[in-house]
Amino acid sequence: MDKDPLILLIDDEPQILRALKTILSAGHFQVISAINGEQGIALAASQSPDVIILDLSLPDMDGIQVCEQIREWSTVPIIVLSVRDSEKDKVAALDKGADDYLTKPFSIDELMARIRVALRHSAQSIGNKETVITAGALSIDLARHIATLNGEELKLTATEFKLLSYLAAHADRVLTHQAILTHVWGFEESDHIEYLRVFIGQLRKKIESDPDNPQVLITDPGVGYRFKTGY
Amino acid sequence: MNIKFHQIPQWLIGLFGSALIIGLVTVVLKLFATGLQIQLIALLYLLPVLICTLFWGLTSGILAGLLSFLAFNFYFIPPYLTLAVHQSQDVITLIVFLIVAVVVSQLIGQARQAERLARKREWEATRMYELISALAGLTDTQSIIQTLAQKIIDTFGFDQVEIIANEQVNEKPVSYRLSKFVPQEGPCELALSMFTTRTTEGEIRLWFDQNTLSLEETRLLAAFSSQGAMAIERVHLMQRENIARVLEESDRVKTSLLNSVSHELRTPLAAIKASASSLRSGAVDWDTDARRELIATIDEETDSLNLLVGNLLDMSRIEAGALKPMKRWNSIQEIIKGVEVKMQTQLAQHPIEYQIPPDYPLVPTDYVLMGQVFTNLFSNSVKYAPPDSPIVVSAGVSDGNALIKVINQSPAVPEEHLEHIFDKFHRVTQADKITGTGLGLSICKGIIEAHGGKIWAENQPEGFSFNMLLPLTLDGELPKIPKDAIDG
Repeated sequence: MDKDPLILLIDDEPQILRALKTILSAGHFQVISAINGEQGIALAASQSPDVIILDLSLPDMDGIQVCEQIREWSTVPIIVLSVRDSEKDKVAALDKGADDYLTKPFSIDELMARIRVALRHSAQSIGNKETVITAGALSIDLARHIATLNGEELKLTATEFKLLSYLAAHADRVLTHQAILTHVWGFEESDHIEYLRVFIGQLRKKIESDPDNPQVLITDPGVGYRFKTGY
Repeated sequence: MNIKFHQIPQWLIGLFGSALIIGLVTVVLKLFATGLQIQLIALLYLLPVLICTLFWGLTSGILAGLLSFLAFNFYFIPPYLTLAVHQSQDVITLIVFLIVAVVVSQLIGQARQAERLARKREWEATRMYELISALAGLTDTQSIIQTLAQKIIDTFGFDQVEIIANEQVNEKPVSYRLSKFVPQEGPCELALSMFTTRTTEGEIRLWFDQNTLSLEETRLLAAFSSQGAMAIERVHLMQRENIARVLEESDRVKTSLLNSVSHELRTPLAAIKASASSLRSGAVDWDTDARRELIATIDEETDSLNLLVGNLLDMSRIEAGALKPMKRWNSIQEIIKGVEVKMQTQLAQHPIEYQIPPDYPLVPTDYVLMGQVFTNLFSNSVKYAPPDSPIVVSAGVSDGNALIKVINQSPAVPEEHLEHIFDKFHRVTQADKITGTGLGLSICKGIIEAHGGKIWAENQPEGFSFNMLLPLTLDGELPKIPKDAIDG
């Protein structure tokens, strides 16, 4: 990219805005900010930011609503900020089109990683999609339906491969339980979180070097799962 | 024996009945008993008088007496078919008959009335007893007025009853309406205040057909109303006492919470402030170990502040009864692993040893809240267990429940403290020796109980164990494992 990416911060807390502006500017991003939802939506429309960081608790409107409104006309990646204990809100925001979330307080490493993933995904959706996803020794070829570990082909059942490839196709982004269940098993089964627990457990045994301490298939407590490439 | 309202009055039936019976007896005697002596006929006439008195009471009895006197005179004493009497003997017979008839019917009538009164009293007493015993165990206004309304309808047979009970100040009164058959619209016939010696507790409104209530009904109704008022007053007094007790308790809790929290908040804040200000002052060189140490301190202390804030939030939710776990099928091992990774620094000297079978069932839990439970249990273990001792986590199944144990090697806790360690601010050791708010374990208890489970502590031969029981079913069902999950 020839120009520093533009980030829109929507948060009503001046301390958070101040800290994030300083850190992001130092990380070679351009930063603009809004202190409420209305202003945020207006800036999102007029400035076409590359990434939006949106706090879910805003003084004038619900952050989920902001997300929904921006999604009506834009595919810009949205990362929502929220607090522990509001898993329902996080899931609702993700369902309404948010790309990812961070739980306050978060570390800057996490935030930077999320921003990089968001930028990479929006670049991909414009250009060609990657068909081979790798995470350490694991490699998944989405086009040829093959998963290999250390160069050896993995024996996966059809459902396992469907699950793994869906997660890998959205690498480094969180996918909600409901989204995964609907994609892999269909809408009628989207409440059966126990399916996921069983299949993720099986997949971990096949692809993780220590299944009890997973590095690739990461649980997002109360929200869903994430395929981590170590990007 | 209900009091009826929609019938012909008893006394009218009595009068007609008496006239009818005397008429019948006269006809029968006239047809079959003309040859008998008049003294015998007089005796026979006493019979219907007795019967009428027995059936319909004093008035009918006297009427029957008079009627039989007239009929006897008219038909059986010569000259016949007149009321005139010629022989003095017959005059005496007639007078004696009249006196006997009247006196007998009066005596029987009185006895009967006394018996009726006694029965009625007994019936009223039984109804009162039933009402009092029905109201005795009730502890809320709504069920009291429901019971009272039902008893009033059962006892008096009114068409409709509505009871309005005043509630505490600032609260809407509660009301309950009960109809015998169809709901009645329009204004009520009678409204009674329900009052005790101290206050007015509400109002009873009645709908019925007749114009007035009898004296007995009014008296019984007043007794019902005052019993109801007393029951409601009892509930109100109980509620007030409870509120006062809760306020007092929460006041005490708040004070000790504030004391312990302000101390606990200051500790990490002091460390952060010291580290940040020394970094800012430039007193520490860039790229030294000291600098890295300070930055690590800030990072770690914010984490402990975050745990503390999370605990406070959970505590206030548990206190308010607002902690609603989002139960999903979760792997206990995964939850604990997540906590272990997050607590790496604190757990550096206390490796976690897992004793969980690989095929251990999924447990319906709230991932985040259970994470908080294990964070608190580990953080408690780290405080009390000797350095370089492992923490064992085991999981088994006991009576259809998950039995999970967190066992550390801390010294035994005196038995008398065991059941209190989950109380708020309870400490076995002196407060200044160990840091913490004294909230962690009570939060664990609150969360486990909100899951429908149980947590307790016990001394082990080599250490100390926190035990938890959690249900293995969600809404009464086991997890549905998909058919294609059989792993080849």
